[in-house]
Amino acid sequence: MKIIFTIAAVMLAFAMFAADDGALQPVADPQPILQDLQRKMSSLGSVYFELTQERHLKLFTDPLMSEGVMLIARPDQIRWETTAPFQSILLGDKKSVAQFECTDGKWEKLKLGFPQMLQRVMGQMSLMNQGKLDALTDDYTISVATNSSVAVVTLVPKDQNVRGMLSSLEVKLRPDFSATREVVMNEPNGDFTRIIFHNEKRGVKFPPGTFDQTKPVEISVVRASVSHAP
Amino acid sequence: MRHNFLILLLALLAAGCTPQKFIVPTPLAHPATLFPADAFITQRGVLTVRGRQFTLNGYVAKSKTRGLRLIMTENFGGVLADVLVKPDGNVFVLKAAPPFRPAWVKKYIAADLQCVFVDRAGTNCPLQMLSQTHFVIERRGYKLDLRTVEVKPGVQPAEMFDEKSGGKP
Repeated sequence: MKIIFTIAAVMLAFAMFAADDGALQPVADPQPILQDLQRKMSSLGSVYFELTQERHLKLFTDPLMSEGVMLIARPDQIRWETTAPFQSILLGDKKSVAQFECTDGKWEKLKLGFPQMLQRVMGQMSLMNQGKLDALTDDYTISVATNSSVAVVTLVPKDQNVRGMLSSLEVKLRPDFSATREVVMNEPNGDFTRIIFHNEKRGVKFPPGTFDQTKPVEISVVRASVSHAP
Repeated sequence: MRHNFLILLLALLAAGCTPQKFIVPTPLAHPATLFPADAFITQRGVLTVRGRQFTLNGYVAKSKTRGLRLIMTENFGGVLADVLVKPDGNVFVLKAAPPFRPAWVKKYIAADLQCVFVDRAGTNCPLQMLSQTHFVIERRGYKLDLRTVEVKPGVQPAEMFDEKSGGKP
């Protein structure tokens, strides 16, 4: 869960970076990039992503696939929604989290177990979305590699216990950060999860109820609302 | 204005999530008869323990001759349990991650797996079939609400049913 929200923060950060093609240069020391990110993150208020998640397990020949969307709005709101093969909504902000499951055509709000853990994650994400990337560099060793076709930012957890579950997290971008990107979470046993983001919309105005933790607006309404955004 | 109207229209039309395809229930002896002999099945579950709910994904490889293999994950793909049930009923817990303990996986998750997929699971099967895709297993201490979301018929790789195999070759 923590990993997902780290990804969310990183994606928002790189959405910021992609807004300025000239800002990113391959550098051996990633610190200037992080500083630039921190400085620029204050100007992007929201982002909408559609995503395909591939869960690659050694046991299975084919990856386990799911589809969904991720919405982020400053200062601390996130909506992660799975749209296929089942429907589920996870909503969070600094104060609380909520989850909804589709049951017989209706959304049912769950009485979540361990909500305090999710709240801590949201708090951390909020800090990162405010540009306080110290939280990220405290937890991860960050490196950047580029070639003619891709730029890869790799985050390796500093905590040994976390590395027992996640050996590295890679954010893959086009060198100009223009479009197709993905995040790969590598596990020590060779399993990995790839999240491919597409149809990104930046600086969108989400309709009322998008992050409502009592009755969230349908994703079709959100899609219609953001479809005009660049 | 037109844009706002479109949003309003969509809001009215989309007043709920997409219902699963409704299938008229027919008298069935056991839910196991719903699934092909060899198949890969995806299920979504809500586990309720002491009033708190946890969502789970279940991926079941089913073989007529080799048994059942279940990979159970949390929301974002982390594997919580990996269990193999042989045709003779022998259970192998290949992974159990917190909050699930191996003994719990063996005693309850393997039992629930057989409850749904093995026709001769015996009396240890407090299962209600609410529809052909919706099952509820209620035991002392927990309730598992299960929905089948995808069934892919076909023979599954033999390695999946080998407790000594780590996965695909």
